[in-house]
This record gives sequence, structure tokens and C-alpha cells, in this order.
Amino acid sequence: MRQRLLLSLIGIMLLAYGGLIATLVTNTKPSLGLDLQGGISVVQQPKPGTNYSSSSLDLAVEKIRERVDSLGVAEPEILRQGDTIVVNLPGVKNQQQAVELVQVTGQVYLRPVVSGCQVLNTTPTTSTIAGATTTTIAGATTTTAAAVTTTSQGASVGSPSTTVKPGPSRRPSPSNGTTTTTAAPTTTTPGATTTSTGAGATTTTVSGAATSSTAPPLDANGVPIQQSDPKTSQILPVHGSNPPQYCPVGPAQGTGEVFSDNATATIIPGKGWGVVVDLRSGAKGEDVWNTLATQCFNAETTCPTKQIAIELDGSLQSVATVETPTFNGSVQISGSFSQSDAKNLARVINSGSLPVQLELQSVSNVSPSLGKDSLRAAWISGLIGVGLVLLFMILYYRILGFIVVVGITVSGALLWSIICWLSRTSGLALSLAGIAGIIVSVGVTVDSYVVFFERLKDEVRSGKTMRNSAQRGFTAAWRTIVIADLVSLIGALVLWYLTVGAVRGFAFFLGLSTACDLVVAYFFTRPAVLLLARTQWMERQKVMGIEAVPHGGAA
Amino acid sequence: MSDTIVPAEHEIDEATGFERRGPLGRLYHGETSIDFYGKRWIGLGISALLLLVSIGAIVGRGLNLSLDFKGGVVWEVPSPTLTEDQARQVLDDSGLKGADAKVQIRTSSRGGRVVQVQVTAQPDAIRVKVQDAFAKKAGITSEDVATTSVSSTWGRSITQKAIRALIVFLVLVAMFIAWRLEWRMALAAILAMLHDVLLSVGVYAVFGFEVTPATVVAFLTILGFSLYDTIVVFDKVQENQKRYAAHRMPYADILNVSMNQVLMRSLNTSLAAVLPVLSLLIIGSGIMGAVTLREFALALLVGLLTGSYSSIFVASPLVAMAKEREPKYKPLVGRHATGVELERLVLGGAPAGRRDAGRTRVADDSIEPLAPSGPVSPSDVLTHEPRPRKKKRRA
Repeated sequence: MRQRLLLSLIGIMLLAYGGLIATLVTNTKPSLGLDLQGGISVVQQPKPGTNYSSSSLDLAVEKIRERVDSLGVAEPEILRQGDTIVVNLPGVKNQQQAVELVQVTGQVYLRPVVSGCQVLNTTPTTSTIAGATTTTIAGATTTTAAAVTTTSQGASVGSPSTTVKPGPSRRPSPSNGTTTTTAAPTTTTPGATTTSTGAGATTTTVSGAATSSTAPPLDANGVPIQQSDPKTSQILPVHGSNPPQYCPVGPAQGTGEVFSDNATATIIPGKGWGVVVDLRSGAKGEDVWNTLATQCFNAETTCPTKQIAIELDGSLQSVATVETPTFNGSVQISGSFSQSDAKNLARVINSGSLPVQLELQSVSNVSPSLGKDSLRAAWISGLIGVGLVLLFMILYYRILGFIVVVGITVSGALLWSIICWLSRTSGLALSLAGIAGIIVSVGVTVDSYVVFFERLKDEVRSGKTMRNSAQRGFTAAWRTIVIADLVSLIGALVLWYLTVGAVRGFAFFLGLSTACDLVVAYFFTRPAVLLLARTQWMERQKVMGIEAVPHGGAA
Repeated sequence: MSDTIVPAEHEIDEATGFERRGPLGRLYHGETSIDFYGKRWIGLGISALLLLVSIGAIVGRGLNLSLDFKGGVVWEVPSPTLTEDQARQVLDDSGLKGADAKVQIRTSSRGGRVVQVQVTAQPDAIRVKVQDAFAKKAGITSEDVATTSVSSTWGRSITQKAIRALIVFLVLVAMFIAWRLEWRMALAAILAMLHDVLLSVGVYAVFGFEVTPATVVAFLTILGFSLYDTIVVFDKVQENQKRYAAHRMPYADILNVSMNQVLMRSLNTSLAAVLPVLSLLIIGSGIMGAVTLREFALALLVGLLTGSYSSIFVASPLVAMAKEREPKYKPLVGRHATGVELERLVLGGAPAGRRDAGRTRVADDSIEPLAPSGPVSPSDVLTHEPRPRKKKRRA
């Protein structure tokens, strides 16, 4: 018995302090939530009353995560709660940029590929690209930024008739940036390259001043991330391509809704992994697809490359060459797919067949509700408060008070290590609500000791030995502690499952600290008090602030 | 607290055989004998009064709900010069009704002057347009104009979610308490909790503080603590209920004994819970000047205090009143022990000592067949005897 008590005592202390030392040594600190750090929070929901497949919503979340990650926001939080998607971007100040970043449509577009795809970061040697580059630079040096767009588009597309609207009104046309980047490695004349970079920069500011001064976020390759604009020609990245590949595509000629949602990844005999999907019949399905397919098969001016690209939110999921002019009922896409590629494409096609339309519910610029100074003030005053509580405990319970002091440090160390660890591994962020939970948990934790010690005093007062009292007192107190803590845990769980945002954060910390309380009460307080009660010294009951039963001698 | 403890003081020390202590000493040693039951109407009366004030304020003044609950758009323009009229003009120019907007001029946390303009929910395009217009007017970049927009459906949906969660929570907790303790206790605990939350919300209504999601968290904290505290008290009540099950003891006595026994624990716990919050309020917000902490800490403080108060002065009387309707306790209503008698119960625990004192009261009562008849019933002997014998042997 004694050994087991010692073991549990030493075990829990090792665990708690070890965890604390580990977090201190590795300098892990919990990341601060949006409400403490400031930033932007965007909430989206599917348009009410619209039909969408649930995989489409999943895909939208994934897509948002991909984009946010590529932006390199520290500690982003992307939460899907039911149908609601909450994106928290701590530290981000530019609201417009954030909104554009997270607005994914889930809409799949079918777009003809208008000229050969280009690979980034390899020295382009083909004459077509060199030609395009020269044109761009020439245009940039002499004409206005808006004109650059037209020229460069015209050049890369290779057909002046393509309707590119000069300077798309809301956003700077990112295709400028793309052309500039591809142009850079050719270095026809060093001066010209500089100018072209300059031209790119000018374009951004010019169009920015006209609307809002926002530069589009860049992707991992330093190319602006584009909003899909199905009405114009664009140069879009190919999803998952390595080295990164960009394809110029024309206006969309159909949406993913031409397909029915039965796309499956299978092994197509002789061609390896591929995707097979049925077309919806009639004017909205087969007809749309076949019109496009015929154009491409015949290599008409709108689709000179014979290729159709399947686009989802500004990135091309597949670029495929059309092999027959008309399709009858079903389509088969094959190529150098791996199994996961094929499965991914099938998923995209399925979600695109019934796309989710997300509606912006809320955009908030969260200013830090507690600035850095306030946060420090909160910590310091909170610690002073805990100090006062401990002082009171020592004054009141004397020697037992010291058990509370050590116990609180054990709980604190345990809680802090868990928070830091979760913050590191699963992106848990400490919020104001969390701090509230922790502060209140001090009261609840101390209460466990108070309940126990008051019991102990009752038992001692009724004439039992210290050793007996401790054992009996704990059994009785443990029952009370468990009932009360279970109610808190129920509350925490319900709130966590059913609510969103700040309340959820609070529920998490409440649950965590309650669980810690139970663990510490059983594995620390119990052995500590029981062991202490066995010592000779404790029989002199004054040491714990209880006198021996006063009338014992008199009666 | 000390003046409530005084009443029992002058009564005979010899009756209990206990050494007399001052009121605080008795509190410290758990020897108080306050007649909580007899004074229940004081507590309930104060609560009723406060509840009336709270409800009056909530209905009359309403709550100052933040944007998150109502939906709408807010622009915050940092500008030393922009006037209210100019701000309304900007809205008019953008096709919104400037006159309907709520315009506030306040000092930001960083010390600058900020014009805050709030209108009902608008589409995103208009939000951006007005943002640009404000920036132009104030001569700053659009990026400096912070905007927040919440669609009204979103506000409604989070409120609905919170309410749904609350209802599920209440039902589950009620079931849990009914299972572990008793359904009457579940009822009383939840009533007391509603009392606490209503009072705290009332504070917000009376002072016109803005209710934000963080405030909701504070309310939930209060709710959790209130329940926790009440359950600890009820657990003691139930324990005594079992202990005295064999004695024909009025429920009021059981309650009074439990309350007195658990009083020190309640005071200690409340102090332990309140101290950090108080420190946050006085040191953090007062001395160190973190003003943002104030409202939050204040809501928590009020909640913690009412939480501790209600478990003793609201929840327990409610349980007593509910339990007294039970057939077992019904005939015993109306005569409960006070003063020395109560003190003996609190200390000695067994109602045996009470027998002699009770006889005089019981004598003129015809419904009491058992108590005066036999000399000593076996159950009394069992609960009473062991302790003195032990003590004598030791001494």
C-alpha cells in the first residue's frame, strides 16, 4: 500500500515537472488565439436552400487549407463545424486579401487549353516562349500597364482575337506576373528584364489604386494565386505538378455539372489508372461536353492544343487531350495517373457535379482584445491571485496547506505542458476564453483540497486517528469531487460539440482543467495526504489547524 | 458574516459540554449553528428582489448586443479629424442611409481617435466600397480602415447554437444529478443556476456593458461554477439525509446541519475562486491599467459571488421546501432545532442528544407516536454509542 502510494506520488510529480521542464527546454509556448493576437476571421456557409454534395464541402475546406498554407500564415485555424467553415488568420491585417484567399467556389470548370503548358524554373529554350517574352518586354517599356496585359495575353495565346478585358476591374490580372516570371530566365537584355519586373510592379499599384491597394497573395513559386475567372483567358497552375507547370486556358465552356456524380478511379485496360464518369444527358450535360470536345478534337482556334483542362478554384486538376469528337454517355480520362491522382480527380469531378456555393457569413477584423501589455498584466495579476489563495490555504490548513501549494504547482505544470503540447501538435490556440477557464479552474482545483481537508477535520474531530481519518476522509471527499467534476465535464463536452468559436475554446479549457483536477486529486493529493498522515509527527494534530477533540479529556 | 453567527451564543455552554469560542473561532472549528432554514425567507427575498431588478433591466433597457449577435457591418476609421456628419455623408454618397447608422467616436486601445460606424448587414461589395470611401475621406489607405461584417443569419445561427447547447446541457445535467442525487435536488440546482445567470446578465443590462462572445463565455463559466458549488453542498445534504434516515428528523434539521457542516468549505472555496478574479480586477485592471480586463473580470466576480451565495441561500431552501412535501417529512414540518440543539447536532452528529430537548416540544403533539414511547430505540444506541466509548478508552 505504502509503496503504491509512493509510486503514484512520484509518478505524477515526475510526469508534471518532466513535462514542464521539457516545454521550457524546447521553449514551446502556446500560440495565441485570434482574440489575443488580432487578425482576421472569415466565416462561410453554404448558401441556404442550395443542393451540394458533402464531399464538395470537404474539398472546399481542403482547398482553403491548401491556399492558406501556401500563403505562409503562422498558426492559421481552419475549422469545419457542421456546414460552417471558420477560417482564423492570426496576424493577418489585409482583409481583402484574406477574403479572396478563402473564397473558394467548389465550382469545377471545363476550359480549353489555348497554348502549350510551361514549366517554371527551367530555362525555357523554345522559340515561342522567347518570342512571347520579347513582346511583353517591348510592350511594358513603351505602353501603360493595362496595355501590357493585352499584349502579353495576345502574345502567349497566339490569337489576337481572344477577348481579354484590359485590366480586369477588381483585381490586378495575375497573368502579368506569370508572364514576367517566365520571362525572367531568358535575359534577352538585362535592362529589359529589369523593366519588365518594374512593369509588373507598376501594374499592381496602378490597378490597386483604382480599387483597393491589395497585392494578390503569392503561391509557393512566387506566382500570384488567382481567383478563378471563368470568363477570361488565364494562365493557371497544374495541381500537384512537379516541377510546377502553368497552362494558358481559355474561357470556361462548361462546368463540372455536365458530369453525374459517379466518377470512379479504376484501372483502364492498357492505360493504367484513370477515371470513368457518366455524362448527364441532355442540353446541360452531354451537349455542353460534346460541343467543347468537338472544338478541341478539330483543333479549332478556341482550342488549338486539343486539350481540355478541368479546373477547380484556380488550379488545373487535369489537362487531357481529346481523342474523339463526340462522346456518348460516358467519359474516360487516362494518362500518367497514379492511383491517388486518379482517386483525387474522381473526387474533384464528383464534388464539381454538385458544387457547394459558399456564402460569406462574417468577416471580422479582430483587434486584440488584450494587447501584449494587458496580457502580461493578466498573467501577473492572476499569479498574484493564486499566490494569495495559497497563502490563505497555508494560514488556514497549516501543514496541509503546503500540500495544496505543491499540488497547485503539479496541476499547473501538467496543464501548461498539455496546452503547449497540443498547441504544437494540433494547433490549439490560447484564447481569452481559455484564460477565463484556467482562472476559474483555480477555484475548482482548490475546492477539491478544501472538500477533502474539511472532511479530514470532521473525521479527526470525531475522534479517529489521523491515519484512519485520512483514508475515510478521502473516500467521502472523492465521491463529492467526482460528482461535481463530472457535471463540469458534461458541460464542457456538450458545449464543445454544439457551439462554435469562443465558447468552444472555453469548453475545451474547462474540460481539460477539470480532468487535470481529477487526476491530480487521485494521484497526487490522495497519496500525499495518506503518507503524511502515517507519520508520527502528524498525530500532533495542531499541525493541520485542527485541535484534538476539545471535550475528549473533560468527559 | 459574523453577525449571523451571534444568535446562538448566550445559550448554555454546559448543555453541549463544549468550550465556548468566539464567533470566528467557531466558524474556524466548524462549530457554527446558524438556522439557515429558519432564515430562508431573507435569502429568498433578497434574491427575488435582485431578480426583479435584473429582469426589469433586461426587459426595460435590453442588452447591448455586439455585432456578432445582430449581424451588420462596422467600419473603424482611425482619423483625428473625421466628424460624425462627414461619416454619415460618406454613407449617403455610397447609397446607404447615413441617418440610420450608429456612429460612435471613441479612443482606440492604442490611444488614437477612432470613428466607428455601424449599419445593418450589407453585401460584401458595399462593405468594400464604403471602406474605400472612408479611407479616401480620412486620407488614409483602405487597409487602415478596419471593417467587420457579420451576416444576420450568422448571428442568429450562433445564438441558436448556443441556446440549443444550453438546453441539451441542462437536460443532461438534470438527469445526471437526478441519478446521482435526487430529482428535487436537480430541480433546485438548476433553478439556482438560472438565478445566478440571470443576475449576472442583469448586471450587464443595468450597466449597459456590451455583450460579446467573450461575455457569453463568462456567463457559461458562472453557470458551470454555480452548478459545481451547489452539487458539493447537496452531496453533503444527501449524506446527512441517509445518515439520519432512521430518525424522525425534520428535513429542516438535516438541512441546517449540512449547511453548518459545509459552511467553512463554501467560504474557503468561494474565497479561493474569487481571489484570482479580484486580483485581476484590482491589480490587473486597476493598478496595471489593463482596462479590457475589467468587464470580463467584473462579470466573473459577480457570477462567482452569486454562485456561492445561491447554493446556500437559494438552492438549499428550495430543496428543503421541495422535500418537505414528501410523506416522510411532511408531518415533521414546523419544528426544527435551533440554537444549542442545532449546535449539538452539527457537532455530535447523532440526533440522540436531541431526544431530551425534543421531548418537551413533542409532548403536546399527538401525531408523534414513536419518539416518546420506548426508552431508547436500538438505532439511537448504534449511532450514538461507539464514539464516547472510544474516547474514554483513550483518555
